[in-house]
Amino acid sequence: MSRYYRSMESAIHQSCLECLERPDRVFCDMPAEALKDFDELKSLSRYPRGTVLFREGHPARGIFVLCQGRVRLSVSSESGRRLTLRIAGPGEVLGLSASLADSPHEMMAELLDNAQVAMVKRKDLLRFLRDHREACLQVVNLLSRDLHTAYDRVRSVGLPRSRRSRALRIH
Amino acid sequence: MLSPYGLDIIESCLTCKTRTERLFCDLPASALQAFENIKYATAYPKGAVLFVEGQAPRGIFVLCKGRVKLSICAPDGKTLIVKIADPGEVLGLSASVSGKPYELTAETVDPCQVNFVKREDFLRFLKEHPDACFKVAEQLSEKYNTACHEVRSLGLSHSAGEKLARLLLEWSSRNGETAKQEPRLKLALTHEEIAQMIGTSRETVTRLFGDLKKRQILQTKGSTLVIRNKAALKLLASNN
Repeated sequence: MSRYYRSMESAIHQSCLECLERPDRVFCDMPAEALKDFDELKSLSRYPRGTVLFREGHPARGIFVLCQGRVRLSVSSESGRRLTLRIAGPGEVLGLSASLADSPHEMMAELLDNAQVAMVKRKDLLRFLRDHREACLQVVNLLSRDLHTAYDRVRSVGLPRSRRSRALRIH
Repeated sequence: MLSPYGLDIIESCLTCKTRTERLFCDLPASALQAFENIKYATAYPKGAVLFVEGQAPRGIFVLCKGRVKLSICAPDGKTLIVKIADPGEVLGLSASVSGKPYELTAETVDPCQVNFVKREDFLRFLKEHPDACFKVAEQLSEKYNTACHEVRSLGLSHSAGEKLARLLLEWSSRNGETAKQEPRLKLALTHEEIAQMIGTSRETVTRLFGDLKKRQILQTKGSTLVIRNKAALKLLASNN
């Protein structure tokens, strides 16, 4: 194994406290105390590519922090046509809005790569956010960012330049 | 005090009677006092623009009374209404938090009372009051969910008829009329505005309404709409 791959392997740790990628990630870069609590709440799993983390309409069990890999977020019609909202990358938090609003998931999240995911249950998350105000602010920042991209998507879908460009966006 | 627009202005959040029913406003006493100190109570007539898409964020607007139309615009002038905001909603939230330009245009539909908070004050307020921060996260989540919903209905519906049927069912469910055999709803928007909500032309909306009336699915009495045949409307809404 080359040195590069070895360093990739060691960058993602079982424990958030030892993770080398952490300082670069918006959500993960939290104060030591909050991080310790988060580390205790999370359960880490590895999933193969193609795994569905959650589906539209299903109740929100919790949030998924993507340590590695990419996720396709999409919405679908009753007939099964699918429209990609965006592709999420490492460091992103998925299922946040459904967990906080306590509503069913508005989208489906499907892994595009083999990925490592840290899951935190909804109840634990709510308690964690109440205990740690920095994390709560972080979440507010993340949601604002997500909302901006969602409105961009509304714009591109609802006000397309031409029929052709709109058709190309449906997968 | 009665304002020129017939609005009963609520000067202080501390004595506001509707506060407890509102998601954001129902804050603990200390946070509420802090909010009271940084907010400016203002009244706007119908058709006033609170902020414009692309403008640098000045702050947030808490809607106390009246409704506000939130829309996005294409360079060719075509407008898409994303949402009609109801009292209790906080507008301009994500732009104020992230510092990016406002992504929507907010225009009042009725005479409105709006409590404005400057961006710097608001950010400081969030840092100092975790409860408020949590409420903001909840509000943003709901906004995000509606935005995703909007993408789905715009991007994956086959026809304007389907979208209109869905919109009417949604409105009737929000009025708490779902359980009734023949739900009624007050049509507060013009055909033009409905067209902008479902991404079609005014002519198409007028034609669709005519069609629904002819098929005895809808009936209009002034500005009140009666859904005569809910099953048929549901079928139209789920037509794939």
